[in-house]
Amino acid sequence: MSGTVKRVPSIWTTGSTDILNTGTWRSAIAVHEKRPAPCYGVCPVDGDIPVWVQQVRNEKFKEAWQTLVENNPIPAAIGRTCHRPCEGACNRTDFDGAVSINALEQYIGDMAIQEGWAFPAPSVELDQKVAVIGGGPAGLSCAYQLRRKGIQVTLFDANPELGGVLRYGVPEYRLPKKMVAAETQRIVDLGVEVVTGRKLTGADVEELERDYSAIFIAFGAHEPKRLSQFSKNDKRALDGIAFLRSVRLDAPAELGRKVVVIGGGSVAMDVAGSALRLGRQTEILALEGREVMPAPEDEIEDVIEEGALLIDGAMVKTVEDVSGRLLLHCIKVELDQNVLPGIIRPIEIAGTEFILEADTVILAVGQDPELTDWKDRVQVAKGMVKIDEDYRTSHAGIFAAGDVASTERFVSTAIGDGKRAANCIARHLGQLVVVEDAAVETKEVTFEDINTFYFPNQEPGERDKVDADVRIAGFAEIRLGLSDEQALNQAKRCFSCGSCVECDNCSIFCPDMAIIKDADAPLYYKVLEQYCKGCGCCLEECPRGAMGVKEEKK
Amino acid sequence: MGYEINEEKVFNSGHAACPGCSEALALRFILNTLGKDAIAVVPPSCIAIISGPQPLSSMSIPVYQTTLEASAASAAGIKRALISKGNNHTNVVAIAGDGGTYDIGFQALSAAAERNEDIIYICLDNEGYMNTGTQKSSATPSMAFTTSTPAGKLSPKKNVPEIMVAHNIPYMATATTGYPDDLARKVKRAMEIKGGLRFINILTPCLAGWGIPDSAGPKTSRLAVQSGMYPLYEVENGESYTLNYGPNGLSVADYVTTQKRYRHLLAEDIELIQAEVDHSWERLQKKF
Repeated sequence: MSGTVKRVPSIWTTGSTDILNTGTWRSAIAVHEKRPAPCYGVCPVDGDIPVWVQQVRNEKFKEAWQTLVENNPIPAAIGRTCHRPCEGACNRTDFDGAVSINALEQYIGDMAIQEGWAFPAPSVELDQKVAVIGGGPAGLSCAYQLRRKGIQVTLFDANPELGGVLRYGVPEYRLPKKMVAAETQRIVDLGVEVVTGRKLTGADVEELERDYSAIFIAFGAHEPKRLSQFSKNDKRALDGIAFLRSVRLDAPAELGRKVVVIGGGSVAMDVAGSALRLGRQTEILALEGREVMPAPEDEIEDVIEEGALLIDGAMVKTVEDVSGRLLLHCIKVELDQNVLPGIIRPIEIAGTEFILEADTVILAVGQDPELTDWKDRVQVAKGMVKIDEDYRTSHAGIFAAGDVASTERFVSTAIGDGKRAANCIARHLGQLVVVEDAAVETKEVTFEDINTFYFPNQEPGERDKVDADVRIAGFAEIRLGLSDEQALNQAKRCFSCGSCVECDNCSIFCPDMAIIKDADAPLYYKVLEQYCKGCGCCLEECPRGAMGVKEEKK
Repeated sequence: MGYEINEEKVFNSGHAACPGCSEALALRFILNTLGKDAIAVVPPSCIAIISGPQPLSSMSIPVYQTTLEASAASAAGIKRALISKGNNHTNVVAIAGDGGTYDIGFQALSAAAERNEDIIYICLDNEGYMNTGTQKSSATPSMAFTTSTPAGKLSPKKNVPEIMVAHNIPYMATATTGYPDDLARKVKRAMEIKGGLRFINILTPCLAGWGIPDSAGPKTSRLAVQSGMYPLYEVENGESYTLNYGPNGLSVADYVTTQKRYRHLLAEDIELIQAEVDHSWERLQKKF
């Protein structure tokens, strides 16, 4: 050895591992994606519920309203009258109770009225004109959506005021008139020409076709169904919707001392509630058992609290007129399970006969559309205007939706149909309408997709209800809107299924630092493909199922 | 979440940890909280592999790879050298596995604790010699399968956290990767308390060794806490106990049934572990 010393370098490290491409290890990569929430899947207006609830949570109230009115121009009204399929589908239901979505909708709808928020004017004005016949939920929704696209709209209604069933059906104590007036006015202010007090019929079609490129009929269903046991001329046997209308016009029809309401739907409950407020002893006779009555459970509960007697699973067989009073000979029934859906066949239970006495009977057993004036213009099937999947009737250029063409008699269904019909009409007029349907692209978020570790139990909270003895004294609204605090608490309960809220979990739990926040990324984060090893921790730790996996073939 | 990502990125991508590795995740939280004014001492372990194939390193700080029995002694020596050079600020952190802490490096650790050396010692505890093929260590819990305990380990896990408390060191904490904010806060607390040995035991589920899916590391670590197997707590000066996260009603069965290393257990075995966990929890609770 000639005295040479081998020098050991003091630093051996020449660089960072970040030049190593560990992305080659994986066979699948996680992707951020917006997935449909179950509430969205069942919403009749296709409302983007997780998005606007999140905006409420962030106290971006006006943005929440703007998201809401994309699909539903009257949230204050629907926030009081919707049958709430969203709450039934809510992933939180089996955890600690559904989010009170409907109450939140009312909260935002009321705030918009109070703050005077208006719809922005259409960005274009087109020459095309559409006649909308019927100023109820379907007509209002369609007129609104057409105007937003710049199409000229004339809205015809037979009544002096707009709102349809919301104005002339649903009682004041469930939906104050002033809310309907404010929300319909807001639509009118978008530049809708309104012709009230004019009832159009099939005979007007030629005239309309001269001035308008398309006609939309949505005048509802106003022909009450009758029971053969009651004579049409008997003043003691009223029709439910006519009675509700008389109450709404502040000229209630005359009632005897004791009222029997026949029916098990929302109209029957509204009739019973109104009769109670007019000081009448009220009984309700429903064909279905309470669990399967068409009226929502809370509406049934309301009238029972207010003093109505509910006799469910029973029907009237014969009626006897005894010194001015009606004696209803009734019998308990059960419903035949072996029939097609939509058909109701009661089976009498022998030996359960009973008698109800009534001074007035109010029939609330459904309505049909009045189509006598229209049936030589448009094809009618099963008592309704026949439409195809694009809301087209048999007459070219005439479209229809709402109760006039559907057996799904819900106000929010009518709003949704009005919106979709407007898109079809716009397409018919040559407009390009692109409808994004998230549901067809990605799988709906289920409860199993939710990482419940990140969601502590929080009791559900509904709108406070006025005490029954107070509410029975008049027609004042019975449910108090949520307070600011209640609304925020409710919004915080939302899992935001499938909608990223930028919680950073995906990024925090990545052992490879392969997910970074990126303001330019469509869903806030970028996956660094050169590093991602495909472990799936981000997917597992996403609290709300807003990520998916993309298989990679190499 | 209280944890905020430190953009300084002391721990870098491209490292050689398995996909979903909890140790890599723990290193991320530890190193990014420590910052660049730190020197790491690493004995043979997965951590040595993760820190990088020479000449590359995943850690943007000096790392000294020492022998398996000498982590605490090496760290203490480096710290004393720094102080003698007038550097009182640089944190010296030994990061060792449970084999290098509970078994082979234990003498050096106990001695350093007894001398109250001014270092942070972090044990990444995956309950076995996972790097060499899943052999049993004294951190392996009762009845868990390893290749050297094929019928399940017969003795319970050594309680090193309490042994370290018994050295009356200024800070001892247990942490795990499912609670990043808690983990990062404990590293920060260890940095604040200077002038003595600070020890943090971090439970880091080993995906291969425990038999869990690649994505299940954080989730399994939370189950350990929620079932009472591994309560998160901290102790200052050997006597002041604080509970951070304890059992929340989940049972040992909820924890062990998700892991293949417990696959051979019978219902009565799980009951025995449950009894052991209940007993330990009862004893620990008296200290808060």
